[in-house]
Amino acid sequence: MENIIEVKNLAKVFGNQAALEDVNFNVKKGEIIGFLGPSGSGKTTTIKILTGQLLQTSGEASVFGVKSSALNKGSFRQRIGVLSDNSGLYQRLSIEDNLKLYCDLYHVPLKRMDEVLDLVNLGNEKKKIVSKLSKGMTQRVLLARTLLHEPDLLFLDEPTSALDPANSQQIHEGLRRLNEKGTTIFLTTHDMSEAEALCNRVAFLHKGKIQLLDEPKTLRRQFANGSVKVELKNGNVVSIPNGAEGADELYQYMSKNEVVSIHSDEPTLGDIFVQVTGKELLV
Amino acid sequence: MTLSWKRIYAILQKDWKDLWRNYFVSSIILLPIVMAVFYSKMMDQTIDLHYMIINLTLASVTAFIQCAVIAEEKEKHTLRGLMLSPASVTEILMGKSLVTIVLSVLTLIICAYITGYNPTNIIMIAIALIISMVFYLAIGTILGLISRTIIEASFIIMPVIFLFGFGSMLMGLVERYPALSFVEYLPNIQLVEFAYKVEEGAGFADLWSYLAVIAAWAVVGIVLSGVVYKKRELDE
Repeated sequence: MENIIEVKNLAKVFGNQAALEDVNFNVKKGEIIGFLGPSGSGKTTTIKILTGQLLQTSGEASVFGVKSSALNKGSFRQRIGVLSDNSGLYQRLSIEDNLKLYCDLYHVPLKRMDEVLDLVNLGNEKKKIVSKLSKGMTQRVLLARTLLHEPDLLFLDEPTSALDPANSQQIHEGLRRLNEKGTTIFLTTHDMSEAEALCNRVAFLHKGKIQLLDEPKTLRRQFANGSVKVELKNGNVVSIPNGAEGADELYQYMSKNEVVSIHSDEPTLGDIFVQVTGKELLV
Repeated sequence: MTLSWKRIYAILQKDWKDLWRNYFVSSIILLPIVMAVFYSKMMDQTIDLHYMIINLTLASVTAFIQCAVIAEEKEKHTLRGLMLSPASVTEILMGKSLVTIVLSVLTLIICAYITGYNPTNIIMIAIALIISMVFYLAIGTILGLISRTIIEASFIIMPVIFLFGFGSMLMGLVERYPALSFVEYLPNIQLVEFAYKVEEGAGFADLWSYLAVIAAWAVVGIVLSGVVYKKRELDE
């Protein structure tokens, strides 16, 4: 499948501080890729370079075959949607007025506004003035604005960071539907459950370098220790290795009716991140 | 490159709604109007009086409003949204200038009515005012793009208001200090000289040089605002 994003040996230095070092990856059409990492790991810098907001120090990056230095063209911008921490809304205007402006900027019919507002669960709130909205509602309006023109490629920087679980889940469903229609999604997050729920592949970014890049399932298997966790009636949790020896031990517990639950001992993405980087994935 | 009037009109509509709810910025139009009322009662209605009010309008309404609306877009991160949209630099800056132009023209008409200014050749005066307005829009755009916040913008614009709004007072200094003779080429001074010539009945042959000087300022302003905008498109 065709690569929509191609990045080779990308580096960005601010002053004498390296924000990105030798970053290499490709994103295929229709994929959802997640960049995971704590604040300052280089996630936002990567998005800024790929959307033409920042020039790299060295290396190459292209989106839809367009080199990053030429990404400020209108035709390119019609094809992308960007939600980042520096996206803003007109505070004195209503949600409707804010979205109407973007419908006109992207030459999108006004009825699309209602579709995206329903998607972010704000269908009945469009007359509200933006300055009166909660942080979560503001984030949902920004997301609605980003989705208005059904972009081929979406860049989402921490899209659900200010949302409650119910709204996050609704946004995830909306993003999945959009992805099924063919939109490629590049998202950054520090939320492992979001990455697991949405991404086909995840990259662990730490100190400006990609430490790992693969499918979540593959990563979990790669880092699994091949054992199962058994919770016993006495409250203990024991780890039993896979194999004949483990089977005997498990049989013993089961024959005595002591087992409450059995789970495969695959690590979470968070566990793998800590294992690879030695750091917790904090905001 | 083709311009999308739909995009330009969309930005104009948005700015129009937004500006009337932004009393800090929109109330600036009262300054030249109050000055016009005040001075028309105190002074003889000369070209100097009319153009003191007109230059003040251009500096305080045209340049200030343009500067403030752009600085606010920067401060609230909404300019980034426009920059990331398919709208071109020209469409964005034209859209953002139209509300300022409408308010400036309204203020000029009200002030001219108050001071009783009735030029001999209204077409020539209108041409000079339009070119001057382009210069002040460019100055406002540049300063708005440089400012980080709307408060910073309202400070940074002050020298412009004093230099161009009250600049005709500097002419007294030019006679005493010849080194300041460059002041004569400022667009506000050229506009006053132009207005005097128009009242004397001068034709285009005598007037074009004044228009050329003002236009040169406008062109430099447009080029500089384009350069600053392009720089602001990229983070540092």
